[in-house]
Amino acid sequence: MRKHLLALGAVLALSPCLMAQKIGVINSMSGPEAPIGENITNGIKLADEDLKKKGINLQLVWEDDTGKPQISMSAMEKLATRDNVVGVVGPYTSACSNAVAKLAEKYRVPLLIPAAAKEEITRQGLKYVFRMNAPADKYASSLIDAASSLGKPKSIAFIYENTDFGTSTTKTAKEYVAKKGIQVVADEPYPKGAADYRSTLAKVKSKNPDLVFMVSYVADAILLMRQSKEVGLQPQAFLGAGAGFTTTEFAKERAISENVISCTQWTNDVNWPGAKEFGARYKAKFGKEPTYHAACAYASMMIMAETAKNAGGDRAKTRDALKSGKWNGVMGEVQFADYEGFTNQNNHQMLVQQILQGNYETVLPAKFATKKAVYPFPKWK
Amino acid sequence: MAVFLQSLISGILIGGVYALIGIGLTLIFGVMRVVNFAHGDIMMVGMYLTYLLFTLMGIDPFVSVLISFPLMFFFGGFLQKVFINRVLNAVSQNQILLTIGLGLIMSNTVMLIFTSDYKILTTSYSSSTIQVGGGVSISAPLLISFLITAAITGALGWFLLKTDTGQAIRATAQDRDAAQLMGINVSRMSVIAFGLGAALAGTAGALISPTYYIFPQVGGTFTLKAFVITVLGGMGSVVGATLGGILIGVTESMSAVYISSGWKDVVVFVLFLLVLLFKPSGLMGKSRT
Repeated sequence: MRKHLLALGAVLALSPCLMAQKIGVINSMSGPEAPIGENITNGIKLADEDLKKKGINLQLVWEDDTGKPQISMSAMEKLATRDNVVGVVGPYTSACSNAVAKLAEKYRVPLLIPAAAKEEITRQGLKYVFRMNAPADKYASSLIDAASSLGKPKSIAFIYENTDFGTSTTKTAKEYVAKKGIQVVADEPYPKGAADYRSTLAKVKSKNPDLVFMVSYVADAILLMRQSKEVGLQPQAFLGAGAGFTTTEFAKERAISENVISCTQWTNDVNWPGAKEFGARYKAKFGKEPTYHAACAYASMMIMAETAKNAGGDRAKTRDALKSGKWNGVMGEVQFADYEGFTNQNNHQMLVQQILQGNYETVLPAKFATKKAVYPFPKWK
Repeated sequence: MAVFLQSLISGILIGGVYALIGIGLTLIFGVMRVVNFAHGDIMMVGMYLTYLLFTLMGIDPFVSVLISFPLMFFFGGFLQKVFINRVLNAVSQNQILLTIGLGLIMSNTVMLIFTSDYKILTTSYSSSTIQVGGGVSISAPLLISFLITAAITGALGWFLLKTDTGQAIRATAQDRDAAQLMGINVSRMSVIAFGLGAALAGTAGALISPTYYIFPQVGGTFTLKAFVITVLGGMGSVVGATLGGILIGVTESMSAVYISSGWKDVVVFVLFLLVLLFKPSGLMGKSRT
């Protein structure tokens, strides 16, 4: 009898190691955010392959939130209570992540958010919530720092869509330029999908700004640049805050996209360990270039799964290990630190890129640069 | 001054395309008393037609008008014969529901085929300009589309005023019963009018596609715009729609410069409300009793 009990005890003690490591994934696999969600799904699939190769017995529990916070929240409830996952990677959008973060804290499930930008998510002192990507304020500051290091801009014009994304990014940007002593000469929110930005751009042109900072999705990004060319808007630099300005569709429009500067969390030409290989592998497997979301998701899953394994499937230990750990991979050096009001935030190095000869090239910071930046913006032909 | 001229010019040019959409809607309303809520979606079909012709056969968007105009004419005629005709004497709510439904079917069918991604047509002249001096420039594709619009409006005017069919259409618009008693085949005139309306909307779609972007839900914005233009100009008045289109184009452009681009829709609708308050029949409209 005693022998049996001992054996049972041994099995119970060992079981977390024998049983598959359960990790939840919440992502926008359908719905309006699905095109970007697809990148996250694919990144996690690649991570799954690599983790299996490393002998980690991983079982992923996939949840589709369709981009809606309420569905995201019910997915989190389910993962935390019914599936008993060790940790969760996701969700994608800021709205979903913000909603899910509070639940993760409530159920004490480590949550690693790969690519949601809203600053507030990691600014509310949540102990179980970690974020891989740099938050929204970094977009503006890294671009403006880049422009300041390349030239001596004194004035800036903002053109942005009057949505959450546009206004919040511009708000942080305005606070930042105020600190830097750059004067805001135009502040033009526009309704998304207007056919004609020429009059707005003509007005901006009359103010003769050194920098033009734009926040738009892809279709408006192309229209805005086309019409900037039409009216002859000629700043020292066009700065595009991520989104539409970092897509291949935009880069393909050679006549108007050349030399536009934008920023991103990741490129496949940066010299972080495995970044190049990840880009090539992704392209070979899925037939298209990965976006930064894919790399963020890949790195997040690798870190979460390995940490959870080492912690023996215990949520609190996993949380502590995430907090104290340090990694180096496709996203560069990762560490979840507390700074400037952020908690468990990876102080990620944003990359500034410029479209040169139709390709996105990393131009800043200097140690990651592949090409030298073209500055000021050449005269329109 | 340069800013003023610049926004005035682009306002007039973009207004020309708006006018074309409005003329189509007003023609349909004039002849059939049916408010076509699928008008923007018909325009969207025209945009996708242009897109297909351009990507598959390499036909320039402006040249493709020659193909899309007759195709859209038959499409409109088909819609009229099969659907609209059945509700001509029904209560107006039913007509509205029918046209809204048709629009939904069109946009969702297109979405199934082409997905909801934005499509952008890039031609060699998509971002080329003509410098007028004084720092003012004119977008080449917008100028071409304005000239084509002007030519089509002129041709339409000639057709309505001088040809027998045109006069029959106008007669039908003035008094359907009297026209029928005079031996005019009013149901045929309705088919022609709806066909023309659809063709004009499709053409507007083709003309705007080199400078705008194409997606299945683009219709809604333009239905609303066409509606405002038509009512502003006076329901059923072709001259009114032309005037209304240009007025809206210039108002949008001017308010973007002198107020804020975020407020331009508000300005347009305030203008619209003012016209309705002081001249309920529209600028060129005659009130009917």
